[in-house]
Amino acid sequence: MSLSALAKQCIANQSSHAHLNAFVSLADKAVVLARVAAAESTRGRHDDDLVGQLIAVKDNICTSDLPTTASSGILKSFVSPYDATVVKQLRDAGAVISGKTNMDEFGMGSHSAHSHFGPVKGLSRSEGHASAGGSSGGSAIAVASGQCIAALGTDTGGSVRLPAAYTGIVGFKPSYGLLSRWGVIAYANSLDTIGILANDARQTRVLFNKLNAYDPHDPTSLPPSTRQRLRTSKLGRRLRIGIPVDYNITSLDPTVKRAWIRSLRDLEAQGHSLHNVSLPATRHALSAYYVLAPAEASSNLAKYDGVRYGSRAEGPDGTPDSVLFSKTRGQGFGPEVQRRILLGAFSLSAQAMDNYFIQAQKVRRLVQRDFDSVFAAPNPLLSVEDVEKESETENGVDVLVCPTAPTSAPLLEKVQNQDPIDAYMNDVFTVPASLAGLPAISVPVDGDGEKVGMQVIGQYGDDRMVLDTAQLLG
Amino acid sequence: MLNRSSTRAFSPFAQRPYVCQACLRRARKPLTSNASPIRISTRYLHADPQTTVKDDTPFRKVLKDAAKKKKGEKSKQSGSRSDPRLEKWELTVGIEIHAELNTARKLFSAAATSSNEPPNTHVALFDVAFPGTQPHFQQETLIPALRAALALNCDIQRRSAFDRKHYFYQDQPSGYQITQYYEPFARDGHITLYPHDFPGGVSPEGGPVTIGIKQVQMEQDTAKTIHQPPTTHMLDFNRVSHPLIEIITLPEIHHPATAAALVRKIQTMLKTVDSVTAGMEMGGMRADVNVSVRRRDGQPAHSPHSYHGVTALGQRTEIKNLPSIKAVEEAIIVERDRQIDLLEQGGVVEGETRGYTQGSKTTRRLRGKEGEIDYRYMPDPDIAPVLVGKDLVDYLRSHLPMLSDDVVRMLTESEKYGLTSKDAGTLLLLDDGDRLDYYMDVVEVLRGSHADESALLSRVGKVAGNWVLMELGALLKDEEWSPDRVPSDQLASIISHLLRKQITGRTAKLLLSLKFDGDARPVDQIIADEDLLLQPLSHDEYVAMAKALLGEKPDVVKDIVEKGRHGKVKWFVGQMMARGAEGTVEPGTAEEVLKGLLGLPRDGGK
Repeated sequence: MSLSALAKQCIANQSSHAHLNAFVSLADKAVVLARVAAAESTRGRHDDDLVGQLIAVKDNICTSDLPTTASSGILKSFVSPYDATVVKQLRDAGAVISGKTNMDEFGMGSHSAHSHFGPVKGLSRSEGHASAGGSSGGSAIAVASGQCIAALGTDTGGSVRLPAAYTGIVGFKPSYGLLSRWGVIAYANSLDTIGILANDARQTRVLFNKLNAYDPHDPTSLPPSTRQRLRTSKLGRRLRIGIPVDYNITSLDPTVKRAWIRSLRDLEAQGHSLHNVSLPATRHALSAYYVLAPAEASSNLAKYDGVRYGSRAEGPDGTPDSVLFSKTRGQGFGPEVQRRILLGAFSLSAQAMDNYFIQAQKVRRLVQRDFDSVFAAPNPLLSVEDVEKESETENGVDVLVCPTAPTSAPLLEKVQNQDPIDAYMNDVFTVPASLAGLPAISVPVDGDGEKVGMQVIGQYGDDRMVLDTAQLLG
Repeated sequence: MLNRSSTRAFSPFAQRPYVCQACLRRARKPLTSNASPIRISTRYLHADPQTTVKDDTPFRKVLKDAAKKKKGEKSKQSGSRSDPRLEKWELTVGIEIHAELNTARKLFSAAATSSNEPPNTHVALFDVAFPGTQPHFQQETLIPALRAALALNCDIQRRSAFDRKHYFYQDQPSGYQITQYYEPFARDGHITLYPHDFPGGVSPEGGPVTIGIKQVQMEQDTAKTIHQPPTTHMLDFNRVSHPLIEIITLPEIHHPATAAALVRKIQTMLKTVDSVTAGMEMGGMRADVNVSVRRRDGQPAHSPHSYHGVTALGQRTEIKNLPSIKAVEEAIIVERDRQIDLLEQGGVVEGETRGYTQGSKTTRRLRGKEGEIDYRYMPDPDIAPVLVGKDLVDYLRSHLPMLSDDVVRMLTESEKYGLTSKDAGTLLLLDDGDRLDYYMDVVEVLRGSHADESALLSRVGKVAGNWVLMELGALLKDEEWSPDRVPSDQLASIISHLLRKQITGRTAKLLLSLKFDGDARPVDQIIADEDLLLQPLSHDEYVAMAKALLGEKPDVVKDIVEKGRHGKVKWFVGQMMARGAEGTVEPGTAEEVLKGLLGLPRDGGK
């Protein structure tokens, strides 16, 4: 199919699936088609696979030609004066940004239902729409419904992997620091990672290769010297596959469990070996995450005061009997964002700091050590002395394979009336890799007739091995 | 979908009622790259004579102020001594000084620093907290900070880190200030105040006093708010994120004058090592003081508080944002007296934040404990820890300019200068050190021209000091100092002629005033043209003068010759010197001639 025909098909799907509410804003159709046509005419000069491809971008990633709202009322009419580095990289690679996708406000949510622009609708089922997962639900469903070729999301605690699992596509969260965060609206900077959503691992890899570069604009971008230390792929040899037994929790859905077992047997049949591993800190990971992420969020979102940009409440704000900006922030932020800001402000307060924030940071370190102790490869971010202190990893594994979420996609209607704590439970399998900054991918596998997300987690910097394993599964 | 989302997304965007259009426009253009400041400042890190801030205060005024200050000081001190309450209550003060670092760029962006540029022209996207932007620590800003900390005798920490201090205010775009709370870059310094650091050279402590520096940290400045009553606040973000250092002293200060001297000395030090843009007078520094009083009879029950490890103190209050050294001293005095009044009347000092307006008789309450902010300090996840190598610290330490203490020591202790510590201190303070440079130039020239005259050489420093400070100072009156008014070699030439007794003191003053008023001729030429060289008296002239004098005072002659009161010869010497044209009568020659006439044994004969 020609690039133009492909683009037209995407645009047609955008219209026919408009009810899914995948996009907050769409690029002008004529402009998109003109760009695709221009790309098509120059295709001979490019030999890469993104030229003229329609890529959707999550609405917390800054674009100078389309608004960037983070699906928040407080940024509902905000246009960034600059492009995020990843957007620039895509444009430079010839890709065409087709629109900005709907999401949970500022990335806070697991079902893309907490949006100022209304919830994203997931796959259609007989009982109604499923949850698209969150917070990159708009990006995921846009890919799943053919409204774009691939999409960018962000993953703070599973926000790319969970929607990928719920919509039956691939969602990849690379190692923290590989992809630039310059221009990505921060939710929790120490966890935020640009993620890639695509129909298969091959296409995911194409985008990853385009975006995997040092960016001096991002102070947390991995410098070239460290990048050189990262290992290259080892596909072709026998992989040692780790099965984290701690993920076999009682609330694991039988369908998901069966899919997990099938996937493992499949890998074994391909000649790879299976090994049980233990990650005991996992059971504290979720609590630690829900202390750390809101703490950083409460800080990162303090800038939204309506003074320099964004929405401002009508009339005076900060009268003698009210708190400065409380009116603007009270009106601009949705309930889930307000909940997490309060949670974060509490855990950073003088009386709670030691018991919450500091403890959670310690758990985070334990989670990272757990992973380091099961992987054969040492963590390239640790110094030689640190590695020697770590326990023996001679019998370590190359990758871990486990489900992305305990269940397949729940019904949107159900999760909208869910207790917030129950919603947080969806992130139980995705949060550990986020806390440790590891590469993790969700791949759709067969689960009794529906798609189930299977997760592959690798050692820091082993992104290509994770993608290789994903291709073996998919 | 397309239509709906365009309406939704674009129409409000087109109106954008709450977006600062100017910010956006500006942000779009040169700032998008983030790495391109609009204008690169010429204010660089290292000492450059052109960049030093001029103190425009005329010499006379400084002297007058110093005299007035000294007087005030005395009356205050005598006042304190006579105030019996100060026998009972001891004051304790700690100071936090915020100083704007002299750097070309802001702390976390490549935008240039500025002081008087049009509002909102030096602002990077991160400085105004645009979504998605990240901090870029400008390493060079460390250099002036490290110099300041070294001058304050601090331990430079190998590892330091930045934290976020949260509070909402319109001058704080991120909703937090980036500062160093958990891991400051410098700790455990100290500063010693010598008598010469006090006006009039008298320390209220009686001798040198050393004040501990708890830590020095780097942090961001805020934006400038211009209030337009009733409800408008104009914001200028040029200043936002300008690098600051905060210097925190231990609560070890017990006199208002010591606090003032400390702030003055730190200000001088920071200028000397070229750490700061300007002193307090230009708004480059601000001070917060915390003040407490406790009973001297030391009942610990009454002073249970401890701050920074200093224990048994009374409840303190903090007075914020003092803009001048005078305000620091005044605020401490009035707050001390307020607390003593309160405690004497059986009241309790509340831990609160107070304000002070210069000249007012008391501090005023800004907010109490209930209004205290929990700043929720959190390490900034986007900023890597700062690692400072020992080599850098060693280099900076070895290249630190001479500090005032070293200069005073040099001026007073070395034979080359031999000044009193009062003169040394005055020279140091005048014209931002320019006068000192001039003085040293004069001494240098004189030492060159008197290299072989060891008797004169030892007097050069002191005499030159007198001429630079007193004689030239008197001429300057209210005029601005300029080293070119009387070039240093010309003043040296005048002094040289004087030292060699080639001209009289009066002639020397005349020459100075001619040069001062713009006589372009070199001193040598003026002396020649105007025939000003001193003609030494001949032996006959000495004898004639002595004879006339002896003839006038026969009774004294009688005392000397008959009663043997040889000491009275000196009286005649004095008379001869007074009678002769200024400087023409050499006392030694006069004495010899007198003794000869009186028939007394001459010195040579002993």
